[in-house]
Amino acid sequence: MSSSDSNSSSVDDPNPNPKPLDNQLETLNLEQGSDSIIIQNDDDEEGRQQDQGSSLNGSLNVNSDNHEQDDRIGPVRNVVWRRTNSEMEVDVNGPSSPSSSGYAGERGSSGVSEDDEIQEVAKDSALHGVFDSQAAWLPGKRHVDEDDASISWRKRKKHFFILSHSGKPIYSRYGDEHKLAGFSATLQAIISFVENGGDRVKLVRAGKHQVVFLVKGPIYLVCISCTEEPYESLRGQLELIYGQMILILTKSVNRCFEKNPKFDMTPLLGGTDVVFSSLIHSFSWNPATFLHAYTCLPLAYGTRQAAGAILHDVADSGVLFAILMCKHKVVSLVGAQKASLHPDDMLLLSNFIMSSESFRTSESFSPICLPRYNPMAFLYAYVHYLDVDTYLMLLTTSSDAFYHLKDCRIRIEMVLLKSNVLSEVQRSMLDGEMHVEDLPGDPLSRFGSASHLGEHQEPTDSPGRFREPFAGIGAHNSRKDCTGLTRKFMLQCTIMATGPTKHSLEEMRIMFSSVGSRPDFELYAAFDPLADKGLAIKTCNRVCQWVKDVENEIFLLGASPFSW
Amino acid sequence: MGCSSSLPDRSTGRLGGLNVSESGGVADAKNLRVKLVLLGDSGVGKSCIVLRFVRGQFDPTSKVTIGASFLSQTIALQDSTTVKFEIWDTAGQERYAALAPLYYRGAAIAVIVYDITSPETFTKAQYWVKELQKHGSPDIVMALVANKADLHEKREVPTQDGIDYAEKNGMFFIETSAKTADNINQLFEEIGKRLPRPSST
Repeated sequence: MSSSDSNSSSVDDPNPNPKPLDNQLETLNLEQGSDSIIIQNDDDEEGRQQDQGSSLNGSLNVNSDNHEQDDRIGPVRNVVWRRTNSEMEVDVNGPSSPSSSGYAGERGSSGVSEDDEIQEVAKDSALHGVFDSQAAWLPGKRHVDEDDASISWRKRKKHFFILSHSGKPIYSRYGDEHKLAGFSATLQAIISFVENGGDRVKLVRAGKHQVVFLVKGPIYLVCISCTEEPYESLRGQLELIYGQMILILTKSVNRCFEKNPKFDMTPLLGGTDVVFSSLIHSFSWNPATFLHAYTCLPLAYGTRQAAGAILHDVADSGVLFAILMCKHKVVSLVGAQKASLHPDDMLLLSNFIMSSESFRTSESFSPICLPRYNPMAFLYAYVHYLDVDTYLMLLTTSSDAFYHLKDCRIRIEMVLLKSNVLSEVQRSMLDGEMHVEDLPGDPLSRFGSASHLGEHQEPTDSPGRFREPFAGIGAHNSRKDCTGLTRKFMLQCTIMATGPTKHSLEEMRIMFSSVGSRPDFELYAAFDPLADKGLAIKTCNRVCQWVKDVENEIFLLGASPFSW
Repeated sequence: MGCSSSLPDRSTGRLGGLNVSESGGVADAKNLRVKLVLLGDSGVGKSCIVLRFVRGQFDPTSKVTIGASFLSQTIALQDSTTVKFEIWDTAGQERYAALAPLYYRGAAIAVIVYDITSPETFTKAQYWVKELQKHGSPDIVMALVANKADLHEKREVPTQDGIDYAEKNGMFFIETSAKTADNINQLFEEIGKRLPRPSST
């Protein structure tokens, strides 16, 4: 291992080369360069150089790697994306081992994977689309009996750790934290070693594994992954995990470490394993985790207006945020004047609520912290499930407000029932997401109204399924941000490609991403490798037009109190 | 005896907090309305006791309470008074300990629960008793509940220890099992009987 200076470019990051897929990927600008220190295993460098060589030839490296066969997977084909410099490289493996958190990283190994997540995913795929895959996922921490000496533990594709600056374990995705004390100390030693040199370690590559570090004051977060996701993705996931921790404890937990550097934080997070495991699971199915956007439940304009109006009424009476959600999708949301809510906070909050079963049993009043709103202070959340999937959250700064919020909820619930909002929400949930098959069929009349929505005509250039859109990253985002997102999107597609959408993604050998960077929304799409560029662009335009036509139903328009 | 609104919750308004209502904890002499808080270590079965009492259900899969859950249940006593319990089922996790005053402030009743199979939870129960003696309403009715009585083969806290501790601190003691429903209703009936009654005007 060798470490390089922080201002030198990273070892595996040579100059951009001509893109062999340029002809198809016109709008795809992959962000290059990073200021990260990369400590890279030399053996791996050789392999990467080879990879680079093959893709420089412009050929698609399509392997049929059958010795990785796992009977349990059935016909799911694994489409693997890899980025080597600016090229796309595609491995189409035979039946392989997708996991809920990533795709096959163990390409070289012939051993049958024992990871039980494979079965979960395979089970999901039969029943759900990617975006509903969380339904069949069993919450809670598994493999608590493992530690770093267990072979099964070492083979896990993606580990997440939280530890304190003194090396005390706080959270581990797999295994018992206490048994991992030695391992945590090692991670801490690596971080300290580099810090002592006046530097910071961000990423270590070791063979197929990437070790990503994130230091947040006295809290260290580490991801060890062989999923081939880019550094930025993994780092973003660590940021979310840290945010989830802040949501539970606030940043004032740092004071405990000031008083006592050897402070043991695990008791403070008692009972929250399920919150973290559910968040980590969502990295593999919920695009909101990398798009920094929230998912909006499609709903007739009038219905959403009705919901928004009553939420608005209560927000005037001392409620900071009133949020109505169905599972992970926003139905409506209102904030007090000047208060703005970051989509990441929404994600973390809804993950917290949905993963904690106790909220379903009765109305609750719980302190929570919104890390992007104010990481130092608790807000108080009144939470009540209006039906099995739909829940209302009323956030306030006042710890005395329970009875007031309870009254607000009763009023809101009455209005929602009277105006049939709840049944409409249920129906929309059943209808599911938007599909490309529903794209208004006749291209010539595509600029017509949404009345064409009913026509079903499979486009020949079917880009797979187009799911419910995200209220996008606003138009104020720089181009740089967009390209970064594009890459993230593509890699995330990769992960999802290994998941449940076998029908749509089976044929998809390569992905093409187009950013329909409109002032009001952005579009991300994935296409068949042989898709004609012109057709692809045409399809994107059609989808954009379609989205425009139905934007009243699929986005929260107007008064959304959001900040990015 | 003072006017109805001053009992049993003297601190209403003065301390604020999650009090039953603006008008205090009592509706009238025959229809009492009281705030009850459950405290105790995590996993002792506070939520199970409440759900058994309120809904007659028992769910063996443990669901960790977050913050606090609010439930209410009304019972009729033999002297034809009704008592509406507004129950705060608090989370037992350490991180919520500092927030407990939010829930026990102004409570007329505190039910402190421990698990007969775990001496640590008995120690924690004693911590809560001391905390309430220091910071709770002075006339709070306290009950010490030894839960999981069905697991008597695994018992580690002798019944007598609970009785002795309760007696010393002027508490009412009962052993319960949320799983078998043993003594759950009795617990709440007994609490109802011990409530200070407002004099009717």
